Amino acid sequence: MRLALGPRGLRARIVLAFSVGALLVSAVLVATTFGLARSYLLDQRESAATRQAFTDADVLASRLSTAGSEVGDELVDLVPSGGADVVVSHDGSWYSSRLDLGARDVPAALQELVAGGSAGTARIDTPTGPHLVVGVPVVTAGVQFYEVAPLVELQSALRTLTAVLGAGALTATAAGAAFGVWASRRVVQPLEQVAGAATRIAGGELGIRLPPSEDPDLLAIVASFNSMVDALSSRIERDARFVGDVSHELRSPLTSLTTSVEVLGARREELSERGRAALALVEDELGRFRRTLDDLLELARVDGAPVEESAEPVSLSALVREVLARRGCPPELVGTDADEVTAVRGDKTRLERAVTNLLDNADRHGGGVVGVQVRRADGAVQVLVDDAGPGVPPAERERVFERFARGPRAARGSLPGAGLGLAIVGETASGHGGAAWISESPVGGARLTLSVPGAAP
Amino acid sequence: MEVVAPRLLLVEDDDHIRLPLRWALEDEGYDVAEAASGEDACAQVAVAAPDLMLVDLMLGAMDGFQVIREVRRSHDLPIVVVSARADTHDIVAALEAGADDYVTKPFQVKEVTARLRALRRRAAGDRPTELVLDADPAAPLVLRPERGTVHRGEEQLPLTLTEFRLLCELAASAGRVLSRQILLERVWEHGFFGDERLVDVHVRRLRTKVERDPGAPTLVVTVRGLGYRLDRQ
Repeated sequence: MRLALGPRGLRARIVLAFSVGALLVSAVLVATTFGLARSYLLDQRESAATRQAFTDADVLASRLSTAGSEVGDELVDLVPSGGADVVVSHDGSWYSSRLDLGARDVPAALQELVAGGSAGTARIDTPTGPHLVVGVPVVTAGVQFYEVAPLVELQSALRTLTAVLGAGALTATAAGAAFGVWASRRVVQPLEQVAGAATRIAGGELGIRLPPSEDPDLLAIVASFNSMVDALSSRIERDARFVGDVSHELRSPLTSLTTSVEVLGARREELSERGRAALALVEDELGRFRRTLDDLLELARVDGAPVEESAEPVSLSALVREVLARRGCPPELVGTDADEVTAVRGDKTRLERAVTNLLDNADRHGGGVVGVQVRRADGAVQVLVDDAGPGVPPAERERVFERFARGPRAARGSLPGAGLGLAIVGETASGHGGAAWISESPVGGARLTLSVPGAAP
Repeated sequence: MEVVAPRLLLVEDDDHIRLPLRWALEDEGYDVAEAASGEDACAQVAVAAPDLMLVDLMLGAMDGFQVIREVRRSHDLPIVVVSARADTHDIVAALEAGADDYVTKPFQVKEVTARLRALRRRAAGDRPTELVLDADPAAPLVLRPERGTVHRGEEQLPLTLTEFRLLCELAASAGRVLSRQILLERVWEHGFFGDERLVDVHVRRLRTKVERDPGAPTLVVTVRGLGYRLDRQ
């Protein structure tokens, strides 16, 4: 049954337990009630029939004591109450008040008992229903007197009782099930509350707490849930503060360094050959350090957060053209749809960084940018960057969007970039409700795609 | 290049930044005075009347915001803010306080000097000498681009140089919508990636000075999704 129905939920189990419990209890009650009522009614009937039989036997005995009276005649006159019939055995002959009743209907055991001089009862089944046979020895007349009383009425009374009790049991079971539904709802409701709160917290509403409960059983859950959320949000705050502090702590010395190197750069001619070479190296490394720090802080700040606050209409075509122009790329490198259809709602700075990172990636790992396209496709605006590299094998395509994933050719220190560029592209895409992926470019190399939902035209 | 070197007050409490920055700015042709604290900066502005200010937001007891507010009481000189955080509300708060533009650390000195140069540029010539923006008979609003003044009735309004140039740009295209991008390019000389919050905050500041009711602006109106428009009254 369990297999057929599959795994059950908490609610179903509670309802089932309540119904089965109610069924069991009412079944026991019904069985006991029925047994007691039946034996009580039978006893009542038996003692009434016995009393009647003794009375009738006395009447018969007194009549038979009158001289000249025959058993058969007297039997006809004897009309016992309650529709009972009479069978009499006298000197080995049997007399009956009804034609279809006779010696064969009196059980042999009872005959023996009465013949022995004691009274007794026995139950028999006849074609007209169950009957009670009461045997009374009338010693004075040498007669064994049997009265056969019908039990049909008792039977129907018991049937009615059975029906009533059965209906009662069914009602009790149904009531148990209903109570189970109510109780399970009571049990599950706080769980649903917790689940709802957890969902909202996961969605970023860190201010959500469960309302205090008066139920002592729920107090512990509510308290520990709320303290968990407290711990979580304070941790998130701490992380955010840490990022801010790191940002400040690193940016200040970096500013000092950058500015000092600029002052040095203005005095390049005053330096020796070796000094100039060293300065060039410092300038390069400083640029790389700055980019990596920017990437790191950007990732920590963004971290998949949705773009909403700073969302504004941005034309990706114009943005890509601008980025390419700033990098000194030839304008014929880019093919775009009209600015109007490539508008998205987003954060210009983050999108610019993502596009820059796509181009940087092509330069560093893909042997240079071969072509850039901006187009509208299926309601989204896509920026496609094709490179001249060997492409990325399908197994690697997911991994390159992970943090600190570096291309196979990026041996330590040989090429700039800390492997954060494409992670930022991925985060930016998902932050805008879009996606980023790698495929094969028609001209051979890799094709990186940044896709962002288009603004309503 | 100007004959007289523009005088620049550099407000920065970190010696390791102030010193090389001073050298680099001097290399770019500025006459640099230094202030290592907010109080020092306010004192120097009062005495030396510099042409430009470069202010770090994180100073000691008196922070950059206070310095800007204090200086703005009596000076219209361009103020550029230096901030270590680009994404916080600090930027908007500094602009609200009266700053004209900002750069984030780490920056290149060329970026800073480009900003400063843009802010010092005088409104280009070939402009009418007098423009009545609001013909309210009791207190007309009159812009005089040549003289660099705006009057409401008899009173001269204390617009900063940047607010004045923003008003000139809007007035020159009165009745037409100017996008934030266009205003950024013309007033701040920022490119495509300029921060449009600059325009929004400056328009807000401008309104408090030129509108009859800054809460319900009728002179400089926002055109949702497009930009701003100046309607002559």
